[in-house]
Amino acid sequence: MTASTTRRHLLTSAAASAALLGCPAILRAEGGDLVVGGAAGMAGYMKQFVFPVIEQKLGIRVVFDGTRSLVNLEKMRADRAAPRMSVVLMDDPVMQIAWDEGLLAKLSPQMVPNLGRIRPAAVHFDGAWANYQLPWAGIAYNTKALPQGVASYAALWQPAAKGKVIVPSLQNTEGLWTLIAASHLETGKPFQDAQYDAAAGFKKLAALKPNVLTVYTNQPQAENLLESGEASLMSGQFSSYTLIRTAAGAPVGLSAPQEGTFAMPSGICKVKDGPNGAAADAFIDAFLGPAIQSILVEKSFVLPTNPAATLPPGFAAPADPFAPDWAFVNRNRAAWIQQWNQIMG
Amino acid sequence: MRRPGLVWLVLPALFYGALLFALPLALLLIGSARGPQGWTLAAYSRFFAGSYAWGVVARTLRLAALTTLLSLALGYPAGFALARLRGRLQSLAVAALLLPLSLSVIVKAFGWTVLLRRDGVVNLGLQAAGLTGAPVRLLFTETGLLIGIVNIFLPFMMLPIYASVRQIDRLLPEAAATLGGGPLHCFLRVVLPLTLPGVGAGCTLVFSLAIAAYVIPTLLMGDAYQTLPTTIATAFLYLQDPQRGAVAGTVLLALSLLVVGMSAHFAARGAA
Repeated sequence: MTASTTRRHLLTSAAASAALLGCPAILRAEGGDLVVGGAAGMAGYMKQFVFPVIEQKLGIRVVFDGTRSLVNLEKMRADRAAPRMSVVLMDDPVMQIAWDEGLLAKLSPQMVPNLGRIRPAAVHFDGAWANYQLPWAGIAYNTKALPQGVASYAALWQPAAKGKVIVPSLQNTEGLWTLIAASHLETGKPFQDAQYDAAAGFKKLAALKPNVLTVYTNQPQAENLLESGEASLMSGQFSSYTLIRTAAGAPVGLSAPQEGTFAMPSGICKVKDGPNGAAADAFIDAFLGPAIQSILVEKSFVLPTNPAATLPPGFAAPADPFAPDWAFVNRNRAAWIQQWNQIMG
Repeated sequence: MRRPGLVWLVLPALFYGALLFALPLALLLIGSARGPQGWTLAAYSRFFAGSYAWGVVARTLRLAALTTLLSLALGYPAGFALARLRGRLQSLAVAALLLPLSLSVIVKAFGWTVLLRRDGVVNLGLQAAGLTGAPVRLLFTETGLLIGIVNIFLPFMMLPIYASVRQIDRLLPEAAATLGGGPLHCFLRVVLPLTLPGVGAGCTLVFSLAIAAYVIPTLLMGDAYQTLPTTIATAFLYLQDPQRGAVAGTVLLALSLLVVGMSAHFAARGAA
């Protein structure tokens, strides 16, 4: 009798647990929603400051899918027959690949009037995609650990930073900045030439290993570690990721090292054959317009691409951030990722 | 007597398994050994050229083996204790063991990244207990990874052991004692062999889960800790090299089958 009662209890417990297991909270976008892909690191400020304005203006609901640009690219490839995303925010080098593979729908000034009002250099391949902001990248640091900030990329290699440095993986586009800075430190060449000497960069990176706490592919998790003080330095960080956390009161800062900073224009594109085409055009137009870009400048510390956007008083950004040869990067990135894994693994 | 009519009931499951398990597996195996010139093992040669891939395989096996051993060391006595509980207390204990399984592994792994920090609960506990004078680095270390992964996979070791202990006739150890067997002798010669099927099942489950773990090592160790599952993801997602991914997947499958087969064999021999 005791055994049978126990079995019943056991079965009840198991059934309750199975019910919980069988009902995960799967959120699905509804028909009228606009699914927008983008970087996980931008999710916070986009959802807080940007999407609500667009949702109110256009009467739509934005469903944001935050991950890495290369993962978004893979999703676009996989969903090519029936795309789930309508708009994607990605880095220029990944946009280039997506365009080459025929995954993007060309933007037209008729449907996206602000396309003709942004800087001409921000429009690629006659409307394949457009840049809506120009973040710059330097070294993020914990202000409690390093109140004076960081003067040079060489700080990453200092013995005092042992076990306190986070670097982005080369799978993330911002991982390139550490490689180029390492090559510059190893060879003394300016970024423009150092970017072509990856071997020197990897040699220098091998010496960084004792200082590395972790190599991240998930930026928000790494940002969390920097803010908690588990790490002191995080290389290759964008103004649009770090300075917004500074403004929110987090104990982090972003240094523009003496060797220079890096630029990576952020692009917006329309997915070919994606759902809600008209809403996608309107969403992209809003991103290229002065109202949203003014919000982005103020909230995420980036330069606008629309000259009509207003800069907040005292806005400062490093002069002339370095933009690499993306075609060279795209040709070599797969081999670099393998070499990176071998050095850091 | 055979009832042929009931055989049809298994067809949906067979179709499902063939379509979503056997076919992709066959495609994976074919993809790993098929080149532009036909059948070839060149992709395997490329994969194992140099020491990097061997290091990845060794790290993957080490993680799975340590996870299994630690889970067994913790799960065997815990499974026994669970089986010896009675009534509501046992139901509560089983529910407490099962309920965490309803939580996403991502959430649990993220939770461990907070707990394992220098100012996290684990470090505070170690200092409060006087085991360490200052915070020790646990996050992004193999120790931290093992703490997290064993916690997450422990129920899969405990439940089969619990089930096997419940099957043991309580009179058997008593009979062994009556015949002069000491407690250790009774355990080693009577109880342990009877629980070996549960141990085998638990080890198989935990080893299979640990060798294929992707989320937990990625979150607790970062991208620098490359295992076969992370190699597969990198090959497909970033390198655009599906053949490399297929080779890594086939190696992972072969290792799993080998170790699981050996585990089942020894469990069956021990129980015989």
